[in-house]
Amino acid sequence: MAKIIVVTSGKGGVGKTTSAAAIATGLALRGNKTVVIDFDVGLRNLDLIMGCERRVVYDLVNVIQGEAGLNQAMIRDKRVDNLYILPASQTRDKDALTSEGVEKVLDDLSRDFDYIICDSPAGIERGAQLAMYYADEAVVVTNPEVSSVRDSDRILGLLSAKTRRAEQKRDPVKEHLLITRYHPERVTYGDMLNLEDIREILSINLIGLIPESEAVLRASNQGVPVTHDQKSDAGQAYTDTVSRLLGEDVPLRFHEFQKKGLLSRVFGGGRR
Amino acid sequence: MSLNVDRAGTAFSFKGGMLPMTVMELTSADPERIREQLAGKLSQAPAFFQHTPVVLSVEKLDEPHLALERICAVCRAHKLLPVAVRGGSDPVKQSAWALGLGWFPPQEPRSRNLESVASAVTEQERAEEVSPAPPGVAPVGSRIFRGTVRSGQQVSAPEGDLVVLGAVNAGSEVLAGGNVHVYGALRGRALAGIHGDREAGIFCHELHAELLSVAGNYKRLEDIDPQLLGKAVQVRLNDDQLTIGSLI
Repeated sequence: MAKIIVVTSGKGGVGKTTSAAAIATGLALRGNKTVVIDFDVGLRNLDLIMGCERRVVYDLVNVIQGEAGLNQAMIRDKRVDNLYILPASQTRDKDALTSEGVEKVLDDLSRDFDYIICDSPAGIERGAQLAMYYADEAVVVTNPEVSSVRDSDRILGLLSAKTRRAEQKRDPVKEHLLITRYHPERVTYGDMLNLEDIREILSINLIGLIPESEAVLRASNQGVPVTHDQKSDAGQAYTDTVSRLLGEDVPLRFHEFQKKGLLSRVFGGGRR
Repeated sequence: MSLNVDRAGTAFSFKGGMLPMTVMELTSADPERIREQLAGKLSQAPAFFQHTPVVLSVEKLDEPHLALERICAVCRAHKLLPVAVRGGSDPVKQSAWALGLGWFPPQEPRSRNLESVASAVTEQERAEEVSPAPPGVAPVGSRIFRGTVRSGQQVSAPEGDLVVLGAVNAGSEVLAGGNVHVYGALRGRALAGIHGDREAGIFCHELHAELLSVAGNYKRLEDIDPQLLGKAVQVRLNDDQLTIGSLI
């Protein structure tokens, strides 16, 4: 049986799709058979981040409506074995997703895969609720910013009430906090919420901290999940995150502000 | 919708609605005793008695005949407007109708979830839960909530104290007919004494509340002395004024 992990946040633009792609890539690189599903029907992005936008034929809605089989719709990643992408439809709207349809797709995938990553749309409407409904674990993506923290808090409330696990009174969805776009320097100057404040408000387990990094934007535009860029701080931070998801104890990195020395200032040793 | 209806021809339309309504639960049928106690309450909370519509609940009375007319007169004399009667025998129903009052069947006993697992209270449940008890009735049915009350959630103990073993986050709401205790940071809204109990209080370990209210008297975060923020405090009502003091 696969483990179903939803990547969600409530707020838009915090890095859900980037994180879903990076985590799915990381899990596959560690030898797990992984599929990442785009639930953002109508605003399809995951295919771009994964660099497979030219190979999309069928999508999740086609599968749910019986117009295509799962194997026709899933796209095999070119870089990593064991990694598949199930894209969203760009032309339909979110009402095209049905609860029974999503359940069937997840059940079918569960037989073959180790991990199913659900990339949730922003908001708390139907699409987001369907993406989280069948989850076993949740990665709540949060920026060090008050509105993002409040929206994450809202999502955590929904995870504890409006999921299959909650409704069947099984063990609750395992919640993980993933802080993205963290800028230690700006935190030091008080422009951003610091790590401890976020952890205190949301009071859930921290699974990772991704520093603000040029590598992320570059990766998005090139369609290569940032996990492949192991020279970058963000790529390494996602690798750490994946290790923690797999139950390993990895110390936290990139959360402290290091003043640049004279040499690095002169030679421009920027954060790459 | 009503496109075919001649607009000038419609005098009214019926609409379903759920209005907040105070239920006056009678434990005595003696109009004199009711008069005495109402007079006492009137001096305590004059704001409450402003032609407030009330439903007279006689479910707890075991009397086939009631001096309903006299009870209604006592209520009206104290600026309460009886609009309906709930429960009681068939003669009670008949005399209610004779007095021009409505009649409701007795309320179904509802099993109370003292420690609800599902924390989010849906709007429907909320409308159900917040049926007000008469002011001043000793609260029973306290509730302990374990965990964080998250943004968008509402946790209530309409007929007793509410104890939260965790934080109450911004954008959430905790309500109680009695006291509200928060053993964590209070960042959301806290309302104690929601049916008018002026003795109720709010107690918390770390004050950052968006709103504090006791028996309808409230303070917004902006009105709270910044020196008190982050402190362990108790909130009480003194002469229509919310006072925030240190917890011990």
